[in-house]
Amino acid sequence: MAEQPKKNFKVNRRRFVKTSTLFIVGAAAALGTGAVPILRSNEKRLRPPGALEENHFLASCIKCGQCLQVCPPKVIKLDGLMGGFSVGTPYITPREGGCILCSGLPCVLACPTGSLDHGISLGKEAEMGLAVLSKPRQCLSILGVNDLVFRLEKIQSSGNLVPDENLTDILQRLVEKLDDKETATWKEKFGLQEVTVKEVPRVLAKMNRENFDWLLSFTKDSEQAKVGCRICLEDCPIKDENPISFHKIKNEDLGKDVFVPTVEKTCVGCGVCEERCPTEEASITIVPRMKWKGNA
Amino acid sequence: MKVTINTDEKATGPKKQRINKGPGKRKVSEPVAGHSFKKWKILRWSSLIFFNFAFFASFYFDIQLLEGSLSASRLLGFHMMDPFAALQIVLASKLILPNLVIGTVTVTIIYFFIGGRSFCSWICPYHLLAEIGEVIHRKLVAKKLIKNHTFDYKTKYFLYVLFLVLSFTTSYSVFEVINPVAALSRSFVYGPSILLFWVAILLAFEILYARRAWCRYFCPIGVSYNLIGILAPTKIKYDVDKCSNCKECQKVCMVPFVLIDTVSKGEKEYVTKGDCTRCGLCIDVCADEALSFSVRYLDKIM
Repeated sequence: MAEQPKKNFKVNRRRFVKTSTLFIVGAAAALGTGAVPILRSNEKRLRPPGALEENHFLASCIKCGQCLQVCPPKVIKLDGLMGGFSVGTPYITPREGGCILCSGLPCVLACPTGSLDHGISLGKEAEMGLAVLSKPRQCLSILGVNDLVFRLEKIQSSGNLVPDENLTDILQRLVEKLDDKETATWKEKFGLQEVTVKEVPRVLAKMNRENFDWLLSFTKDSEQAKVGCRICLEDCPIKDENPISFHKIKNEDLGKDVFVPTVEKTCVGCGVCEERCPTEEASITIVPRMKWKGNA
Repeated sequence: MKVTINTDEKATGPKKQRINKGPGKRKVSEPVAGHSFKKWKILRWSSLIFFNFAFFASFYFDIQLLEGSLSASRLLGFHMMDPFAALQIVLASKLILPNLVIGTVTVTIIYFFIGGRSFCSWICPYHLLAEIGEVIHRKLVAKKLIKNHTFDYKTKYFLYVLFLVLSFTTSYSVFEVINPVAALSRSFVYGPSILLFWVAILLAFEILYARRAWCRYFCPIGVSYNLIGILAPTKIKYDVDKCSNCKECQKVCMVPFVLIDTVSKGEKEYVTKGDCTRCGLCIDVCADEALSFSVRYLDKIM
């Protein structure tokens, strides 16, 4: 009988622990319910192609990361705890790497829950957002500056000449559009049989301060440098749909004709233009989830 | 409960006199020749490490073996999905999508055959950590530095329903935010996240306050597998004639109450409770070899 009070105490304590735990859980749940709409109003993320409307997307994403595993350019990332209710869900930071709308859209096919809508099969059907010319004052096209010249001058002013990816990319873009006369000059200068993208590493190997200065003046004088930067359209994965058009205007300050890039209805907001924009901060940026209003 | 006192001094020999509570017919617990005390543990840990490494390797080395994480994955291209996560998604999004159904049905069928909560002890990465934590916990208890505390086993059913209701009302899979298993699995595959702190807190709670608290009392993920496991034919079989009632099995078991019907009362031949994780710890520890894995119904035919 001496055991009796002890047992009672134990049962009471157990019941207390049980009820208090359930109470805490219940309170947390109630708080969570209330916090959902508040935390949802966070900044919008750029989602992979085919993502459902944001609330539906958050509801249906199982946070498995399979879209990220199959992404060929590896631009999809998983959100952390700081993303609030977006935690564990996939998103894209366009400046670090835009979606190239690969054929077949592997991320959409990989999605087990249909958060990325299986209804779309082509990149141009995606509705990720829209590109916006957010910093027109620094846009090279409006300033009438060629992108290759701009990038070469940037290398020159930094005084740091290394045969890196940036320089390789510049050379590849340059040799692709040389005319006959320029090709001949190029061959002679670097002692090449032919001028193709494949020969770029050989040119790169010969790159020194002297050759670089020659390269800069050669690029400045080339035919292609007479046209302003159009890299946003050139690199667009759906450029056949003409998502960006260029309208000629007269730049009063410069006293010459320049082109203003205009985003058209066909833009899906993949973010490649933002990634490739050569200015310090991207002049063209993606507004996730934005859609065209009216019939403009 | 029937209580018998073993007074046979000769049979127990130099061993301590023991009070037997239960149906076992043997008097002494004697190791059967050739009994392995580690067999299932080694097999199970190999499985735990292999599958979690497969998740990591599939992404890291880009081999399409087991892509995704524990919430949803593809095993050699076949969709697999955690039933609890899938249920939440359906309730939250109010949509039923083919891949989701395929994945959930596949997982249900697989775990029906290999036995319900075997997911927990053979696949779940949290189980691996918790098992190590349990060793520390038991050492601390033995040194009387801490005391073990218990909760109600049914709490997890309550949480299961609660989070399903919450998914429906908030249109958001609330549990997936705090899901320690998914967080751990994602961290293995895609690199560590802040959510690991939450996993660490849980683990600390288990080590210092309540033994195996998450898996035993709270984990709603296990509940789906629990329900699948009630009907699953793969069960632990109990042989009353070989049992000596040493109760070692209940000491090592993560969910000791599942052994009550068999080892404590002798009413059933199989461990029928869904909470049994088929971890094999009881089989390893049983020197009498009274417990074994068996396929119910099939062993009746054979």
